[in-house]
Amino acid sequence: MEPIVRASGESVVRRSRGLPERYRLFLYALPFIVLVFLFSYLPLYGWIYSLYNYRPGFKLSDTPFVGLQWFRSIFANPTQTAEVGRVMKNTIAMSSLGILTSVLPVAFAILLSEIRAMRFKKLVQILTTLPNFISWVLVYAIAFAMFNVDNGLINKIMIGLGWQDRGINYLATDSHTWLAMILWGTWKGLGWGAIMYIAAITSIDQELYDAAKVDGAGRFRMMWNITVPGILPTYFVLLMLSIANFINNGMEQYFVFQNPINKDHIEVLDLYVYNTGMLGTNFSFATAVSMLKSLISIGLLLFANRLSKLVRGESII
Amino acid sequence: MKHEAYRLLEGGDREGARGAAAHAIHATFKHGHNREQTREANQLTKMRKTGLASTAVLLALSLAACSSNKDNGNSSPSASQAASPSGSAASSSASASPSASQNRDEYKVDVFSMLSNFSGEQQGWFAKVVKDKFNLDLNIISSNLEGGGDVKFSAMMSAGNLGDLVVFGDDGQKYQDAIKAGMLLDWTQDGLLDKYGQNILKYAPKAIEKNKVNFGGGSKVYGIGFDVGDDKPGPSEARDLTYHPNLRFDLYQKIGSPPIKTMEDYLPVLKKMQELEPKSDSGRPTYAFSMWKDWDGNMMMNAKAWAGLNGFDEGDGFNNGGFTLISADKDEVQGVLDEDGYYLRGLHLYYEANQMGLVDPDSLTQTFDDVVNKMTDGQLLFTWFPWMNTYNTPERLAEGKGFALVPFQEERTFSYGYNPYGGNRIWAIGAKAKHPERIMEFLDWLYSPEGVTVANYGPEGLAWKKNADGKYELTDFGNQALPSNPTPVPEEFGGGTWKDGQNQINNTTLKLTDTNPDTGEPYEYDLWSSYLSKAPTKFDESWRAAMGGATTAKEYLEKNNMLAVNPQIFTGTAPEVISDSLSQKQSQAAQVIKQYSWKMVFAKNDAEYDKLKNEMIAKAKGLGYDEVLAWNKEQNEKVFGYRKQK
Repeated sequence: MEPIVRASGESVVRRSRGLPERYRLFLYALPFIVLVFLFSYLPLYGWIYSLYNYRPGFKLSDTPFVGLQWFRSIFANPTQTAEVGRVMKNTIAMSSLGILTSVLPVAFAILLSEIRAMRFKKLVQILTTLPNFISWVLVYAIAFAMFNVDNGLINKIMIGLGWQDRGINYLATDSHTWLAMILWGTWKGLGWGAIMYIAAITSIDQELYDAAKVDGAGRFRMMWNITVPGILPTYFVLLMLSIANFINNGMEQYFVFQNPINKDHIEVLDLYVYNTGMLGTNFSFATAVSMLKSLISIGLLLFANRLSKLVRGESII
Repeated sequence: MKHEAYRLLEGGDREGARGAAAHAIHATFKHGHNREQTREANQLTKMRKTGLASTAVLLALSLAACSSNKDNGNSSPSASQAASPSGSAASSSASASPSASQNRDEYKVDVFSMLSNFSGEQQGWFAKVVKDKFNLDLNIISSNLEGGGDVKFSAMMSAGNLGDLVVFGDDGQKYQDAIKAGMLLDWTQDGLLDKYGQNILKYAPKAIEKNKVNFGGGSKVYGIGFDVGDDKPGPSEARDLTYHPNLRFDLYQKIGSPPIKTMEDYLPVLKKMQELEPKSDSGRPTYAFSMWKDWDGNMMMNAKAWAGLNGFDEGDGFNNGGFTLISADKDEVQGVLDEDGYYLRGLHLYYEANQMGLVDPDSLTQTFDDVVNKMTDGQLLFTWFPWMNTYNTPERLAEGKGFALVPFQEERTFSYGYNPYGGNRIWAIGAKAKHPERIMEFLDWLYSPEGVTVANYGPEGLAWKKNADGKYELTDFGNQALPSNPTPVPEEFGGGTWKDGQNQINNTTLKLTDTNPDTGEPYEYDLWSSYLSKAPTKFDESWRAAMGGATTAKEYLEKNNMLAVNPQIFTGTAPEVISDSLSQKQSQAAQVIKQYSWKMVFAKNDAEYDKLKNEMIAKAKGLGYDEVLAWNKEQNEKVFGYRKQK
């Protein structure tokens, strides 16, 4: 490669400006390499806390080294193991539900792109994208305003219609917790998740549709045979992202929605780590538990990769 | 560090988005290889644009996050400048001692209070008093509101700065860790205490001595306890106790004042009261028990309250709470999960109450402040805590409506004796305080007769004034506003309402029932002779008549032998700190106990209640409850020994 590049006049001009191309490219990438290092690799150093008896405020070197004590304590006692098992079950269940619902933005994007009334289409897109920019704390505030007992909209309506004789605390229930959480998440993320697909759909060659129309394909036929295959590559890339991310950014939602009644089913790994580490002030134990998260992440990633290989014949890592 | 917890919450989301952007770019390059289809190229540029745009947004976000993180809430000049015009404008028109404040720089003090229920800058009349006298702005950081539990404390410890003025909820692990880690200032350093702490040395010498011996290795002083009392026996409370069952007395009388023998007997009474008054002033439903969970520590606080009414509490006056409930005056200890203990009995009472529609369904999701608002509105019929009474306004009392003690015959209310050594809620100064001498001076003032009066009842001339005998009496405003009504405060005193302007640090200094040397009367306003000589309201009259002539709740309970007075002890050592492995067990078991307690209250039927109870006990025991309990008991028994020494 290199001699050819050097031979071309263009690269001579570049060289005379100073930096060879490979350095220039490297410099382009450098900020991202630094970011990745800072936010993805540096934090791994924190795993060392799991080997100490850490208390905030003290230097790590001033706290006693305990070896694998905290790891052993996860499995030392059956109740503790059951607790971690429960948390893992919640994590995996909600992750899987999240993956299942990742087709919703695709369907939404396809349906949206079929709308011909531009104004209405834009309106729908804006309204569905907006919730993504509301923080979970505010989403909970909305939920509270709707569902609280004394002033909640839903309770008022139900009592007004005579379907309930007194207020019910809808937020404090443990039935269908997983489903409710997925619904909130879908409400918040649907429009945002569809953006990439809408971009992908608009870039599908119009000629393909024209040709299909000539061949007598109907609207659904075109969706199925042109649009869907056209955005499938994007879907798989984003699927992998959502798999990798779901386990990461789940914490806030569950944190704001948790209460003693639904805690059994809402406590995912991140939340459990927070509850034991930050609320229970046991950072070392929480670190040890949080390392389980890496195991799940790797498992999910391999699963997505396998799926991609099966469906597309191409792996993503 | 103010943003630390926030960052923890937000961090995940940012990380996710960042990953998405990086991958989007990665994806475009992958697609780029496939050049046959122009649409792919189109897509590529589009996606690249999206990728770049989101990367830019992300960079901006992370930069913003970094810079906001640096702003530790230390006095930022711009913020305090911006705040000053209104403050100084108000101060120039006021009369209160402007001399002290004029020649000093403005100083924004970070008050980290583990007891406060208010977060942000102190407002109203108390802010103005502090500003005029010391030129200090109090920025209150409340661990109750910022993350709950020990979240804020851990974050601030990790950041190496606990703020300027620190208030600890107890003198256990956190206080001792902070001392060990060098986060707290030694008051004997540079003669700080001698120079600026003359009032403390004069009015709370034994409290300083206790801290020196217990926590400072005999020479250093890192803090001082609250509620420092005169050296005398008997209950230290004023008119009301910390716990006693207060009911809507007017309603109780209307249903014929049925006798109440056991604590469970309240339920049918409260049910009848609810039927009599199903709606509050604003038309909302009334409840007997409206609870909140943000004060829960090792157990559900509202269930523990019933132990308090039976003479048992989580602390023994020396050791900090665990899984035991300790009798105030007898050598008795109960485990939280004891089948015949007061904690489970309290839980069962709430369960039954919920079956009867007496429990506010919002209890699970609301905070203390919401409950206070409900109290003010008249949605409550019962409270364990007389100090929570915001219902008794002068207007309502004149109508004969109000909350007052309705005891149960078996009641033995936990009462705290006078404690010259100070209680276990600690005032301390952060090691990194910029001007420790000014904090010391402020704290010293809080421990002075003037400070106690002003911090609780406002500057002279607002709520109180001196009368001809040099004693204090309430002004018309004071009669309206006290104890904590939302009465508007005149602009010259700082504006806002009385309630919002109250000292929000939420820790006391000298016991309010101590004698004020300036007047010879207690600090507590409702024990002033001027107040006692006032004609009782219609409401007071009917209550007194019903209670056999007792004028206050304390008087009635004392006369009828319904108090369990906790004697105060001096140990000469710090309370023992729990080991780390036990502490882990404690925190895990406590989470289970708290969670299941709330579930049990809202259980659908007896079978579910029993099932949850058994699950709770099995899980807590599985997580090491028994070991922690045994350790707690061992510590409590030491205290029984100290009690006898006295």
